[in-house]
Amino acid sequence: MNHTQLLRQCAISVAVALALGTLGAVAQAKTPDDQLIVGFSMNNLLSLDPAAATGNDVVELAANLYDYLIELDPQAISKMQPGLAESWKVSADGRSITLVVRKGVKFQSGNDLTAEDAAWSLQRVLKLNLAMASPWKSYGFTAQNVDKAVRATDATTLVIDLPEPTDPKMVLYTLATSVSSVVLDRKKVMENEKNGDMGAAWLITHAAGSGPFSLVEWRAKDALLMNRFDGYWRGPAKLKRVIMRHMTESQSLRLMLERGDLDVASGMSVPDIESMKKNPEAVVSPVRRGTLYYVAVSMKDPKFADKRVRLAIRNLIDYDGINTTVMPNYGLPQQRPVQMGLPASLPSPGYKLDVAAAKKLLAEAGFPNGFKTTIRVLADPPFINIATSLQATLAKAGIEASVLSGTGNQVYGAMRERNFEILVGRGGGGVEPHPHSSLRALVYNPDNSDAAKLTNFQGWRTSFFSPELNQLIEKAEVERDEAKQTAQYQEAQKLYETQVGAIQPFSQMVDTVVLRKDVRNYFGHPSATTRLRDVSKQR
Amino acid sequence: MTTSTLRALGHRLLSVVLTLLGLLLLTFVIGRVMPLDPVLSIVGPDADRSTYDQVYQQLGLDRPLPVQFAYYLRDLLHGDLGNALLTGHKVTDDLARVLPATVELATMAIILGTGLGVPLGVYAATRRGRLADHVVRVISLFGYSTPVFWFGMMGLLVFYAWLGWAGGAGRIDLAYDGMVAPRTGLLLVDSALAGEWEVFRNAIKFLLLPACILGLHSMAYISRMTRSFMLAQLSQEYITTARVKGLSERGVVWGHAFRNILVQLLTIVALAYGGLLEGAVLIETVFAWPGFGQYLTSSLLLGDMNAVMGCVLVVGVIFVTLNLLSDALYHVFDPRTR
Repeated sequence: MNHTQLLRQCAISVAVALALGTLGAVAQAKTPDDQLIVGFSMNNLLSLDPAAATGNDVVELAANLYDYLIELDPQAISKMQPGLAESWKVSADGRSITLVVRKGVKFQSGNDLTAEDAAWSLQRVLKLNLAMASPWKSYGFTAQNVDKAVRATDATTLVIDLPEPTDPKMVLYTLATSVSSVVLDRKKVMENEKNGDMGAAWLITHAAGSGPFSLVEWRAKDALLMNRFDGYWRGPAKLKRVIMRHMTESQSLRLMLERGDLDVASGMSVPDIESMKKNPEAVVSPVRRGTLYYVAVSMKDPKFADKRVRLAIRNLIDYDGINTTVMPNYGLPQQRPVQMGLPASLPSPGYKLDVAAAKKLLAEAGFPNGFKTTIRVLADPPFINIATSLQATLAKAGIEASVLSGTGNQVYGAMRERNFEILVGRGGGGVEPHPHSSLRALVYNPDNSDAAKLTNFQGWRTSFFSPELNQLIEKAEVERDEAKQTAQYQEAQKLYETQVGAIQPFSQMVDTVVLRKDVRNYFGHPSATTRLRDVSKQR
Repeated sequence: MTTSTLRALGHRLLSVVLTLLGLLLLTFVIGRVMPLDPVLSIVGPDADRSTYDQVYQQLGLDRPLPVQFAYYLRDLLHGDLGNALLTGHKVTDDLARVLPATVELATMAIILGTGLGVPLGVYAATRRGRLADHVVRVISLFGYSTPVFWFGMMGLLVFYAWLGWAGGAGRIDLAYDGMVAPRTGLLLVDSALAGEWEVFRNAIKFLLLPACILGLHSMAYISRMTRSFMLAQLSQEYITTARVKGLSERGVVWGHAFRNILVQLLTIVALAYGGLLEGAVLIETVFAWPGFGQYLTSSLLLGDMNAVMGCVLVVGVIFVTLNLLSDALYHVFDPRTR
């Protein structure tokens, strides 16, 4: 065969192949009608144990494998709805909550669900003292007092006495949002107990709940399968099976969504989300979260202990630029520590990039030519892009900042050690739709000494210490008159503004989920408790 | 077996053990020096001090480093690599799950790479300096220098999204997931053993594209090496003699020259295979392939030292075994090394 013949043959086979391929592509693959296939990165999913599991991903699973006593409306985040608890009552002094647990509910194992299970589940969280004990410890619960404070008086009554004065509403919100609040099947868990661990080792990879779906299998960093639980007390879910797939590559997610091999994808990159917005087969759904993107400075550093320097930094953030170019699909403009959409939220203070003002402040503080510093930041978008923008605007006032990027572990690890100068990060409670949640996480710092090691308070990590603000936050937390409380929270935000806190928010987190058009009743939940029991497909 | 052979064997084994031990020690030290905090990964950013300290102790990080390492070695001798933070399972169980996925991918890739690379290299050598040689060089240069993840993305776009020939991300269509009980962990083998030919076909559909892309890379390397080995042989006097004796060109190339490069070729194929097993990280990420590469990277990012050291041990054992194997092959095929 000579060269021309060979070439011709090759060309023909390629053409035939292409033609066949196009035909193949027309008959597109589709996910089954009664199964939901979800793609997202499971990198942060380390454990399914409600007492130990951190992060949003596990909340999303727990909300479907388990039941919460109280639920929040995804459309109106501060509205509480009954879950396993039919009703609840707060005592007149605000120190005790009584919940009436629904009768006749069965766990997936067939065991009856009672108030004892609910009490035991909460007690377990504190006794194990793992990651999810944090919110409860902040209300004063301890492994020692929890048996007395949280108790079932009969099969349907759960009483929670608050060890310390706090806003009972905040506790109710934690019951509705924290993964630690799900009700576990005590019998089933204890059958799998090893060395007195209250089933901790077993629950890392198993579930024992009463939710609409039961866990079939979880292969870490691969896939998680859930089947419908036909005996669910609200009636069986519409979907027969939910399959979650570990996918980290945004473009693979996009291609699979486009081909119809995926129904829901989250964690996609901005260019891919933008391209999906133009796809008539897809719906792009932004879900607002309570956490904030911020620039933090360490007040252990004498430069940043000077209020004028902090104010200069506040003037050197390009709020508009960052929010219009970097943050679309990641966040919405927000410059205050309390998330938007709450009764106590205030309108924007309208901070803007103002280099002249910053230069003047720096000169007054003794830095007419700026200084050298470092910005610590996660190596992922949008963080790294924000840091680059900040680096450029700081330079305009003579501040020469080098960017140190790393993993979450490295970046936040340094912050916990109080060993950083500037940090671009995200955080700040906000899971509970209550101003206290954000203020406690970002502003409150009851003890500024190194020895206190209050690493769970970002206020402590930045060494921002304001006794007036602390008092105001504590006062507002126990205020029983709602109007007064709202006014106090607003006052706290204004005080934070005048005192120029160490953490300057510029955006509130948005999680963008992309769905196939035929998915019905999927409501991404701001607290990540997205419930799939009513989700179906219309084809 | 003579005493000297036994002694040589003993020396060999000792050096293998020492190599692996050194590897573990190095990894352990680097792992502890790295600014990664496994406790933080477990408890999350909002946990307070008492929780942090409790987990720190549970992981045994409060003990001095030499003691930690000694405990690690003690457990290792009992076949226990510890538990992975990443999955909550025993590291040995995890490795037994993720390794077969990568072995399947790498084996298919090396079969494709060798199957194409060797003939191409021989072909190029016999047509040295001519058009065919240049074409092969361009192909292998392209295959070797283009990043694997780019090929992966393009491959998905063309063969999965546009043409619909290949399966997308993952090892198998979710509809078939779990239909075949794992025996070897190799999906093709398991489905064939179970007689589930639907599953087998589907697994092939998912495997071919990533294996081809990975194979392209090793094909490029193997064809370049084959070419240069062949050129070295073809310039030898015995080839000229064979030609003068009137042997056909095919007989000269395959019967004489190729036979003599076989051992060298086996060595580079073995090493390329080892490289594939360990280096499939990018392809595994692009194709969401639940294999060893992904497992290793996520354990590293988490600072999950039990898992990382388990992986290092596996990679070490693979390379040592492949090296031993190729040495043995030299011994068998090349009388000069005896």
